Amino acid sequence: MTQSRREALRRQQEAQARAKRLQRIILVAAIVLGLVVIGVVGTIVVSQLNKGGTAAGTNSSVPVNATSDASGIVVNPGTFKDGVPKVEVFLDYQCPVCKQFETQFGTTLDDMATKGEIQLIYRTMTFLDNNLRNDSSLKAGIAAACADNAGAYSAYHNAIFAGQPTNEGTGYTTQQLRVDFAGTAGITGDKLTGFQQCYDSRTTQSFVEGTNEKAAADGVNSTPTIMVNGTKLDNNTIFTQGTDAFRQTVMTTKGNG
Amino acid sequence: MSGTLATRSWVRWTTFAARQILGIVLIVAGAIKLPWPEASVQAVRAYQLLPFDITRPVGYALPVIEVVIGLLLVLGLFTRVAAWLGALSMVAFIIGISWVWAHGISIDCGCFGGGGASENGIAQYPWEIARDVGLLACGVWAGLFPRSPLALDNWLFALDASAPADDEELEESRA
Repeated sequence: MTQSRREALRRQQEAQARAKRLQRIILVAAIVLGLVVIGVVGTIVVSQLNKGGTAAGTNSSVPVNATSDASGIVVNPGTFKDGVPKVEVFLDYQCPVCKQFETQFGTTLDDMATKGEIQLIYRTMTFLDNNLRNDSSLKAGIAAACADNAGAYSAYHNAIFAGQPTNEGTGYTTQQLRVDFAGTAGITGDKLTGFQQCYDSRTTQSFVEGTNEKAAADGVNSTPTIMVNGTKLDNNTIFTQGTDAFRQTVMTTKGNG
Repeated sequence: MSGTLATRSWVRWTTFAARQILGIVLIVAGAIKLPWPEASVQAVRAYQLLPFDITRPVGYALPVIEVVIGLLLVLGLFTRVAAWLGALSMVAFIIGISWVWAHGISIDCGCFGGGGASENGIAQYPWEIARDVGLLACGVWAGLFPRSPLALDNWLFALDASAPADDEELEESRA
């Protein structure tokens, strides 16, 4: 065998080895990419399970007093006059500071809303479910939106905060949301049946998921956040105010558009 | 370029340490967030840096990407690529934290789960950035000198799979 032949044979073997090596690299790379895809898909599935499933798509609907863009629910539809301040309260039913806000200024806001001095809108968020690893914010939001269909949104909203557990993260029981709070809010008879059907079939779930998403899209990432005509109020300021000063703040805050 | 330096034993063992440190941190950070992608989305949104519409895909993908890069580094598989990707992710995190710091936004960085608005977030930023710079250094080192002991790359890139490549062969194949 000549020198050059031996050389050629060696080259050929080398080329084969390189081809095998390339195959191996491509195979392993494909496996890694496959794992990434499985990981992402798996994550999406797990997050759906953590949420406790989704609404029965067929009877999903928006509550009767939802804003036209479905970003919240109008507390005092029809009673506010043209040109009054638009007050938006971003809340999470599991947020203790929201309860504090409710205790401090809830009556004042309800009074102003009833008299038509403001247009009051509640924009429910559910992000604390993620922090607290439960689904109580979403469930309470679904129930409150169902209560709007029963004509008792504001009363039910107040009942939830009145019944908020002392320890953040305990969450709300089905008994509380289906029966107790409905009782406190004065939902009875046929309205109670309708309310419970709405809650059981999660009719308003996609609406509530939407209000959370739209609030986040508007840059709100903590609750309570209060906006007057689109201008965010400073929580540090308002929590030190008395009800009269707060009322004044609401009536005099300039809008941003 | 780094041919002679890269073959030194201490360089290879430093790479081994660097990829273990960066890899384990990435795996832990990713694994904590993995079961709660919506919380991860929230953490991404809290930075107010990315356009809103892409925060959800980013929030879902980030923990998976962290775990995968981390596993590759720990196993020493595609070390060079994984190390640069790890370094890139640290650059992104440093930019993110610098951004919220510069804008006076006080958040929990959401690095290891959590995230969102936080009262005393700003006080944590210097230490968080220092930590990420350290991890960035691990990534850059392993990217520059990707060869290390106890790495699957030694099998993957060997010309003869039954016998792991020795230095010269690897050097040649990576040239």
